Amino acid sequence: MADAPATEVAAGEGVLKRFGSTVALSSATFRIESGVTGLLGPNGSGKTTLIGLLLGLHRADAGRVSVLGLDPARLGTAVRERVGYAPEHHRLPPDVKAQDFVRHICEIHGLPPREAAARASDALWQVGLGEERFRPLGTLSTGQRQRVKMAQAVAHDPALVLLDEPTDGLDPVQRDQMLALIRRVADEFEIDVVLSSHLLDEVERICDAAVILSEGAVVAGGTLEELRGDHDGLVVELTVGADAFVAWLRRAGCEVAPDGHRLVVTRGRAAADHDLADLVRDATVAAEAQLRRLVPRTVSLEEVFLDVSA
Amino acid sequence: MTDPGAARILEGGYRRYDGVRSGARGAVESVALHTAQRALGLRRAARFKVLPVLAAVLAYVPAIVYAGLAVLLPGDLTENGVLPTYAQYYFFITAAIVVFTAFVAPEVLCTDRRTGMIGLYLASPLTRTTYLVAKATAVLGVLAVVTLGPPLFLLLAYVLVGSGPDGPVSVAAFVLRIVAAGTLLSAFFGSLSMAVSSITDRKAAASAAVVILLLLSAVVTNSLVEAAGASPTLLLANLFELPFEAVVRVFGEPSDNPELGRLATPVVVGATVAWTLAASALVWLRYRALEVTR
Repeated sequence: MADAPATEVAAGEGVLKRFGSTVALSSATFRIESGVTGLLGPNGSGKTTLIGLLLGLHRADAGRVSVLGLDPARLGTAVRERVGYAPEHHRLPPDVKAQDFVRHICEIHGLPPREAAARASDALWQVGLGEERFRPLGTLSTGQRQRVKMAQAVAHDPALVLLDEPTDGLDPVQRDQMLALIRRVADEFEIDVVLSSHLLDEVERICDAAVILSEGAVVAGGTLEELRGDHDGLVVELTVGADAFVAWLRRAGCEVAPDGHRLVVTRGRAAADHDLADLVRDATVAAEAQLRRLVPRTVSLEEVFLDVSA
Repeated sequence: MTDPGAARILEGGYRRYDGVRSGARGAVESVALHTAQRALGLRRAARFKVLPVLAAVLAYVPAIVYAGLAVLLPGDLTENGVLPTYAQYYFFITAAIVVFTAFVAPEVLCTDRRTGMIGLYLASPLTRTTYLVAKATAVLGVLAVVTLGPPLFLLLAYVLVGSGPDGPVSVAAFVLRIVAAGTLLSAFFGSLSMAVSSITDRKAAASAAVVILLLLSAVVTNSLVEAAGASPTLLLANLFELPFEAVVRVFGEPSDNPELGRLATPVVVGATVAWTLAASALVWLRYRALEVTR
């Protein structure tokens, strides 16, 4: 993961977007920094609408959007020149060779023909397509077409790529390869990535940050560490003295919840000023309990998502 | 022999591009060129070349035959009516123009929507308007192959064998009229075909609809005027014959259609331009409302 200080890639403030009577995005406020950011949410939550707003394809009914420091509604051409985009759908011109297709996309992003041809070839090679690049798109597998979509998105050297459901339709092996490729785009190609997905685990695996959408609203956003940050706590496993241990901690103001054979200990309001590990140590001594395991509580993105969506 | 010590790995991974970018103008040019090439079947399988080649044959063969006649027969053959005038020539290549009209715009517009290319185009420096400008440029360019090319070829042949206009001024005047007539026809049929293609994603349906629209408008308006005695003004809705009548007026030749011939030239040309603008407006409105990110 990049250690460089994060810079703002895109942001929105109070963004409202309606399609007729349907509110696609409501008062959405978000900030996307460099690295890989996941737009996370179920189908219909507004992810694709947000991508459309970032590309300047839609105009927000209210609020403000900026991409690479520019307003895409006013300076859409300038924004799109520096942004790569891979759509969700798999339909591509079936009789066009992959090489010709990527070259054409490079040319419409302003590259001279010779440079476009060279970069198209390079980009297809980089995403793992060798001789297949001379085959018509209609003869490629879904996985290969996803790679072609990735190649056309990065071939013209954008500052940012927007990937709409990049693993859609892929089998588990292809999915792993695609996720690794997306991470490479950020780390090796040094291109910032925003990907939309309804799959929590893939966002958790490769993203530095996430913007979580639910029913057209941004319900949470930040780095994965920040998103998990409100869910601190310790997981404790005891062999002896569990009842006294729990009673002691509850008297000290902690919240203790059984989770199978483990106990999840979190700081309650009354214990807010105390170090949780110290409290667990003191409780173990006072209850004469035998501690088998003590680890920080890790929270999956799924728990965060369910929590903020609720 | 190369020194092995001098060997280097040149594959440097992903390369940055710091050169100049051509912006929206370059994107328009690229899309227009790419679209025209595809419509003409270039860089595509043989089956995609059949219709363009057929239309070109239909358009150019009469011109080649007339050029041959001009070489073989003495005198000014257009003056004495042996060979067709430039305006009359369009009647010989009507089939080629209709084939191209019915085929080009559906290929150019419907394909992008069906294959999702429209989403990628509009995620580039292109806007909806510049995208349509690029597509319209391609359609006009391809249609010009049959509306502009054959009369220019005919003019060149006539001039070379001494049957054409005399002197550079006269030749230039004819060139201007041919360009005006060809552009008028291309714009009219191109915009009409694009308007129909903006309504459906299915190429075959759009092509069929274009042909039906042209023929039906001719049949209905001619029937109403000739059989039912309706006003000749109704012939301004004859989408098949109206543009060719406008071409006759551009060349200043007498009309072959007695009913259309009763209408004033500004009315005929104005109606042709009005249909072109109306069809273009429909295309623009359809694309303004198009959902493209899915």
